[in-house]
Amino acid sequence: MMAFIAQNIAPIMFVGLVCFLLLGFPVAFSLAACGLVFGTIGIELGLLPPTLVQAFPLRIIGIMKNDTLLAIPFFTFMGLILERSGMAEDLLDTIGQLFGPLRGGLAFAVIFVGAMLAATTGVVAASVISMGLISLPIMLRYGYNRTIATGTITASGTLAQAIPPSLVLIVLADQLGRSVGDMYAGALIPGLILVALYLGFVVLVAFIKPKWVPALPAEARIYREPNGASGHRSLLVLFLVCGIAGYVWSKVHQSVINPLVGRQLPAPGDEIFIMSMTVASVLALVLALVNKFFRIGLLSRLTEQVTFVLIPPLVLIFLVLGTIFLGIATPTEGGAMGALGALIMAGGRGRLSKSLLVQALDNTAKLSCFVLFILVGSTVFSFTFNAADGHIWVEHLFDNMPGGAMGFLIVVNIMVFILGMFIDFFEIAFIVVPILAPVAAKILPELLPAGTPPEMALIWFGVIIAMNLQTSFLTPPFGFALFYLRSVAAKQDYKDNVTGEHIPAVETSQIYKGSIAFICLQLVMVAAVIAFPTLVTGGIEQAVQIDADKALQSMTESSNAARDGSAGAASAVPGGPAASGAEGGEKEDPMKGLLESMKADEGKKP
Amino acid sequence: MTAGDQPGRGAEETVMQGLLRVSRAIDSLNERVGRSVIWLVLMAVLISAGNAIIRKLFDTSSNAWLEVQWYLFSAIFLLASGYTLMRNEHVRIDVLLHRLPKRGQIWVDIFGFIFFMMPFVLLMIYLSWPVFTRAFFSGEMSENAGGLIRWPVYILAPIGFTLLALQSVSELIKRFAFLKGLIDDPTRRKVEKTAEEELAEAIRAEAERELAREEVEIGTAGRSLK
Repeated sequence: MMAFIAQNIAPIMFVGLVCFLLLGFPVAFSLAACGLVFGTIGIELGLLPPTLVQAFPLRIIGIMKNDTLLAIPFFTFMGLILERSGMAEDLLDTIGQLFGPLRGGLAFAVIFVGAMLAATTGVVAASVISMGLISLPIMLRYGYNRTIATGTITASGTLAQAIPPSLVLIVLADQLGRSVGDMYAGALIPGLILVALYLGFVVLVAFIKPKWVPALPAEARIYREPNGASGHRSLLVLFLVCGIAGYVWSKVHQSVINPLVGRQLPAPGDEIFIMSMTVASVLALVLALVNKFFRIGLLSRLTEQVTFVLIPPLVLIFLVLGTIFLGIATPTEGGAMGALGALIMAGGRGRLSKSLLVQALDNTAKLSCFVLFILVGSTVFSFTFNAADGHIWVEHLFDNMPGGAMGFLIVVNIMVFILGMFIDFFEIAFIVVPILAPVAAKILPELLPAGTPPEMALIWFGVIIAMNLQTSFLTPPFGFALFYLRSVAAKQDYKDNVTGEHIPAVETSQIYKGSIAFICLQLVMVAAVIAFPTLVTGGIEQAVQIDADKALQSMTESSNAARDGSAGAASAVPGGPAASGAEGGEKEDPMKGLLESMKADEGKKP
Repeated sequence: MTAGDQPGRGAEETVMQGLLRVSRAIDSLNERVGRSVIWLVLMAVLISAGNAIIRKLFDTSSNAWLEVQWYLFSAIFLLASGYTLMRNEHVRIDVLLHRLPKRGQIWVDIFGFIFFMMPFVLLMIYLSWPVFTRAFFSGEMSENAGGLIRWPVYILAPIGFTLLALQSVSELIKRFAFLKGLIDDPTRRKVEKTAEEELAEAIRAEAERELAREEVEIGTAGRSLK
């Protein structure tokens, strides 16, 4: 019996973990308890060294010092303040007016705004609730198909998970030992393609079933010109002018910026993209302001409205993502700047009250606490698990996998998809991902196109997982986006207060059905990212060198960023097997890691 | 405890009431700690953003300002742990749990607090205390130039885990009291409204104001026509 346990401690521990978690006690403490129970058994059986527990305080200090995770409260707080700032409402109203005259226009607006909110607030609940309260009644009023309407809303809300700056990407970057900046850069293009897929789907519907997605009737358009024109032409002209300006900037960006920041290397694509967008939107704002103050009257009301409404989110996107991609700020600082920006914006609109502030702070503190405690618990667990050679057991599990690395990816994705139906993405990121990461680091590089640095593999892996986890918000029985929409969609028949028509209640089954098409689109996207790794790596290949610079800079600035430094060092030598090997080694051999961290601690003492 | 006989039950009642007083005291302690700790989030935001801006504008930065951020971060998540537990916000996997009857759920919690939580938090207090005392007596400083002294952040771990341990005791008392029918369901969230509910309410209120404004405009327009 004892011998059986001794030989199979890793699988037994894994089964134990599942039982402990299913019991329903808070995950953080179940994880820790599982680690401790099996740690004790292991020590009693002489499988594990009795000094094992001595390492826990050091691990906890490591978590406290982790400044990647510091971004979690910042982005959470930013989202909570922004969702109440009225930005989402303005965007939905205005963009709805912009696209309204088109067939499928309201759905476009929802997707477009969903993407904008995703790039700023990053809170699924907020997007879904705002859209459910503002866009859904309008869609129902003008006869949208209910499945399409609800599906578009829930799916667009979950974009917050896939598009930077999402919390999932931060947590995954931390767990995979990669920089958040790289993770963001890698996720940007797949995220945008997903938005394009959604839009494409609505276009398709508009062509095949025009009645499902009708255009807004003329009387529902509010920003009309005195002469009855819609004002789209002037917007188109402004858009073209600014587009050209942005394009020109993208061509000269490198020759302007490189001398300014003293850089020799070519500018990375995402930096050029973000900067060109910034140039274009600043130009639009200046033109609109000039037009307004000098009463030139060249721009239509619609144009002005669209410009003014788009500026705050664009500024925030620049403040957060722009500064991170440009390497001006770390993701943590980007989060703090975004949070400050959100406070200023909410204050400027007169929406910032003491009770809102307290509520946002309260929720942020509680969320940070439970997330960090899951990490503490999972650290205790995985430390014991790895000391018991659990990682080797997991590796062997995938040894006999048909299809090798590709088989691994497919199995992992199916597993994550199913787990996502039942458990939260934080738990998946903290429990499942660290168990899989060493295997992924070992076997995935072979799937990357030749010449790609092998440490890109984990970023690619992370983006795949993040894309996949997005579906967890849409899949029953625990799809949170579905819950949020249900909580705000009409539960009873009502009389529309504009047309006075009788509108039947939104049924729960309609909400569930609506999400199916979009879940399929997301899975297509997961498959696409698996099939074409360059979708992810293409966005970061050039950024790597910049990160190395940044890492060097931060190393001279503060040596306590030893962790980031080593990640940076690994990426400084593209294809350097020694560097990535060293990092993998640290993960694989916990006792060595323990000794090292103890030594490091000894060294710290004067 | 002798639950069977009459005087015993009276004694048990008194003990339970005494324990509930302890539980209330712990709750109010963690409530107060939690209510104060949340402001550290705002402080961290301002310091981090300020530090980034100053570094870019004036090209100066100090390690003290960088380090104070993770000090605050540690304080937030460690000190709020009891508060978060009291609010029942530590996430659970409740796939099976919510199928159990109420009393079953309470027993799961009782089991969890005694066998999962207690050993873990007590061990953590036991292990993290020496880390603090060592740093305190040696006066350990950050190895970075201009860095901060270390013990104030190291002491957060034993304090945080102690708050968590206390809150677990309080939760345990409340679970038993509930089983005895002395108090209402302690697992029901005590928060008045969630952030999501407030957001929905704010948007609805705004829409109603808008509608009222339009109606007034239409009304006055109608009158002027007459």
